[in-house]
Amino acid sequence: MSLLRFSKNILCTNSVLPNLRSISIFPKLQIKKILEISNGKELIIKGEILPSPREPYLLKNTHPTVCPVCASGLDIKHTDVLILSQFVRSDGCMLPRRVTGLCRKQQRRMSALVTMAQKAGLMPNLNPDYSHKDPKKRYEWKKFNKYFDESTIKC
Amino acid sequence: MSVLKRVQQWATFARIWHVYDAAWQNPFQSAELLKKYLMGMYKPIYHPSNDCGDHVIVINSAEIALPGDEWKKRVYFHHTGYPGGATWTLAWDLHSKDPTMVPAVYNSMDGNLKRRYTMERLHIFPDSNVPKDLMANVSNQIRQIRPMPKRLDHYPEQQVKEFPKVIDYPKDYVVR
Repeated sequence: MSLLRFSKNILCTNSVLPNLRSISIFPKLQIKKILEISNGKELIIKGEILPSPREPYLLKNTHPTVCPVCASGLDIKHTDVLILSQFVRSDGCMLPRRVTGLCRKQQRRMSALVTMAQKAGLMPNLNPDYSHKDPKKRYEWKKFNKYFDESTIKC
Repeated sequence: MSVLKRVQQWATFARIWHVYDAAWQNPFQSAELLKKYLMGMYKPIYHPSNDCGDHVIVINSAEIALPGDEWKKRVYFHHTGYPGGATWTLAWDLHSKDPTMVPAVYNSMDGNLKRRYTMERLHIFPDSNVPKDLMANVSNQIRQIRPMPKRLDHYPEQQVKEFPKVIDYPKDYVVR
């Protein structure tokens, strides 16, 4: 979404490159962030891969062969929203295993915990655009508070 | 009676007012806890015929939490006594109509004649607006059983950003 917006901004600000397409067909050409647009006599548009904002705060993996969650040895509950939100996209969907890099068991467990957190209404900002952002506005029984028992997760 | 003895007598036999915040608590677990204070079971002077129950003010009863899909599936049965007077009310339906009515405490007690009198000492309020003269009597707060969860949008943005991250995105991932 942000990629399209950036490319649209470029098209609006300059008429030098009218043939530039905003949608790229080749997935390998999808750059992470379009950065520098330096103005002056020359117009230079660069695409650069920015370092991830998460890098300085990454947890050090003491057991590299094991998945990060198993290595951390944490008992993650459905209320630990700060940890669970790392595995969630901006519209509330869970990231696939090839992106998160967890083992099958932990991926299923995190998936179940994220479902619990979403149902309990603890992550209202990580929701699709058409949803109620406030859990109190939900329909009938869904507007009341809920909690879940993590021991019921089977994986 | 000497001054010290008078104070001791008062401290032992006075009726204490407690306050309990029911937000994000399970009503059934809370009922087991509050029942002890309402009946005076924690006091060494307890006896069934000794009127030693305390008052409990429950606030934020509209925010109680039930596990899983109990809101949808739990039903309360009531019969008026007349033919065709049976009603099955769902928990969420009852709570939306009257958030102060929580049958959990009444049902957790023994079904003896004292129950109705003990329930009169329980004051439930849906939010934290309690009359001032009631709050003036309160001298103890009962600890909550379950920890209150915090919503993601209630965390300051800086804290969310600086929280230790378990995983990082792969190099060729497009963040949506």
